[in-house]
Amino acid sequence: MGYLWLKAIHVAAAVTWIGGMLAMELVVMMVPAGPHRRAVGELPMLDVVRRWDRWVTSPAMLVVWGLGITMAVEAGWLSSPWLRIKLTIVVLLSVLHGMLSGTLRRMAGDPGRASPALLRHAAPLTVAAVVLIAVLAVAKPF
Amino acid sequence: MSVSLKSAWTQSDRSEQRGQLRRMRWVSLLEGTTLIVLVFVAVPLKHMFGYPAATAIVGPIHGAAFLLYVWMLSQTISAGDWAKREIVRMIAAAFIPFGAFVNERALKRKEDAMAVTV
Repeated sequence: MGYLWLKAIHVAAAVTWIGGMLAMELVVMMVPAGPHRRAVGELPMLDVVRRWDRWVTSPAMLVVWGLGITMAVEAGWLSSPWLRIKLTIVVLLSVLHGMLSGTLRRMAGDPGRASPALLRHAAPLTVAAVVLIAVLAVAKPF
Repeated sequence: MSVSLKSAWTQSDRSEQRGQLRRMRWVSLLEGTTLIVLVFVAVPLKHMFGYPAATAIVGPIHGAAFLLYVWMLSQTISAGDWAKREIVRMIAAAFIPFGAFVNERALKRKEDAMAVTV
């Protein structure tokens, strides 16, 4: 498969992954942080986002990793500073995604459990990470 | 209007967490195995026998396995009750050859303990 095809699928998967993460972050922000009685519609909302994560967001992330690593190896970019910084951001985004998945699972099982404070501010962090990644991947400044 | 469904979800949540711990064990073994192949096979092949292709192949495979490990670990930790000491050990094991195999046993014990409490 040609580089441009790999890149197109990689970008489409990245958009899907980040879109799914933002949805998860908004849901975490919407559900009260501490012990509470469930509002009507809370469980179905958690269920929909978790199912979307399982069948769409997480597979999209795996595609991003797979194609990203493939392109980096084929192009010989693994030693480039811009890619190393980008990879570090991707690892952090993956950890954030894992925290969101785990937290949503816990929220679905137990409304009394508080979500980590970091996740309540995760949406702007995610957007900032995406901007950095876009600059690094497109401009390749160093 | 609000409703509490906590009790109805507890058992299915525990069974889901057991499944997560089981998957985490497999990913831990995968990450540990690729690290051992990288450190004890690919790196010596590159530096002692002049085969740089060995690390060029195994390196990215281990990179993908490491990503999968940190993603699954953050998911598993966020979903369950983990002591800080356990979290530090799980992270450190990803960087130490054979550490993953010690972790796998710890994860199995946690999974078994959860099965007993269901």
